[in-house]
Amino acid sequence: MILAVIFVVAAALALIFILGISFSRGLQLSNTGSLAARIQPVDLEAFRNLADPAEDDYLRRRLPPAEFRAVRRRRLRAMAAYVQVAARNATVLVRIGQAALAARDPRTAEAAYQLVHQALLLRRNAALALLRIYVALAWPNSGPAASLIVRGYEQLNGSAMLLGRLQNPAEPVRISAGM
Amino acid sequence: MLQAHSLLWHYLWVAPSVLLLILGLGLLRLRVYRQHPFFLAFVLASAIEQLTLYVLDLMPSVSPLTWWHVFWVGLVLESILKFALLGEIFSHVFKPYVAIVRLGKNAIGGVGVLLIFVSSLAAALTPVDSPFGIVSGAHQLQQAIYIIECGILAAIFGFAWYFRIGMPPAERGIALGLSISACVHLATWAVVANTRLPDDTRVILDFINMATYHFCVLLWLYYFLLPRKAPALTLAIALPENNLDVWNRELERFFQ
Repeated sequence: MILAVIFVVAAALALIFILGISFSRGLQLSNTGSLAARIQPVDLEAFRNLADPAEDDYLRRRLPPAEFRAVRRRRLRAMAAYVQVAARNATVLVRIGQAALAARDPRTAEAAYQLVHQALLLRRNAALALLRIYVALAWPNSGPAASLIVRGYEQLNGSAMLLGRLQNPAEPVRISAGM
Repeated sequence: MLQAHSLLWHYLWVAPSVLLLILGLGLLRLRVYRQHPFFLAFVLASAIEQLTLYVLDLMPSVSPLTWWHVFWVGLVLESILKFALLGEIFSHVFKPYVAIVRLGKNAIGGVGVLLIFVSSLAAALTPVDSPFGIVSGAHQLQQAIYIIECGILAAIFGFAWYFRIGMPPAERGIALGLSISACVHLATWAVVANTRLPDDTRVILDFINMATYHFCVLLWLYYFLLPRKAPALTLAIALPENNLDVWNRELERFFQ
């Protein structure tokens, strides 16, 4: 009987989960006019600084171990916030790119494909980086490799620029700030 | 009304199969079978299987044992086609996205292995609900299949949602129909396989299953045979002009 209850509850939760996702806007290929406004600029320089292993090494040499761990945790939390924003931007760009994939102009469609490809890579890398950051929060002396994110984000930014330029030559996309 | 061999019972057993045959013919006529070969095979096989079981159920000359043998053959064939169909859905949704297709295969493969383990464990823990092994075995097999099917569909939807991959309408319709059917059947079969219900209560669960399946068939008909307008896809990105030069300078500096 307990097994039956477990499976009935599991089936109900699975159905709610699937219906919720299916009827959310996330899986629908819809108009993306308002999506671009959701992109939040990311301060790439600050992000790069936080992800720089040389900075961590410098702090490790200069600070007592306890203080270093506290500082490193603060830096990791800040890094996680940047990665989350970058991942959210990637999500928006996936949807913009997907809508633009249907463009008649082959150059625009190709740029859209590149944008989607790089945005998905960034989203994947962001998930892995967040995992590493949270592990590093538990063990601050380890080093999270967030450089993948920095490079991915810059490539993504370039693709978004290209797509924006092809679709509207007067108004390219901007997803980075502080440059 | 909610009794075996009532008018509603006959309707709910026969109508979905007839509708599936209509859907199969529609798919053939629209030449959709090239994109969805396993869906077409699943549709036709399910329709033929259910109509065969219905006719055998009505024939007094057919023994219960023969009926259950045919049921087993149909169940195994339908299950194989169902899993091939899940692969087809995955392929159509994720194959265009090279960046994540491998991760998706690994993730959903991992989920599949975990689900096989869970369903095996559930089958081992499930009590024998019938004195006839062929009946209780069928219930346990169905429970195991629905556990795996439900889990894989949830994983496909979850993976697509995480990466915000837009599902094409046909795949969305197939997956949605399969999901609703699998989740409701999992719940009812888990109750049937793990409890000793009286026959009149068990018939109510049969009605729930049949009605759900009927709804799913209607859903597939809606997604495949009803003409729909292509969505107007537009892109409006309003961004400052001078950013491109700034970005190019930054990229050049970075790659030096």
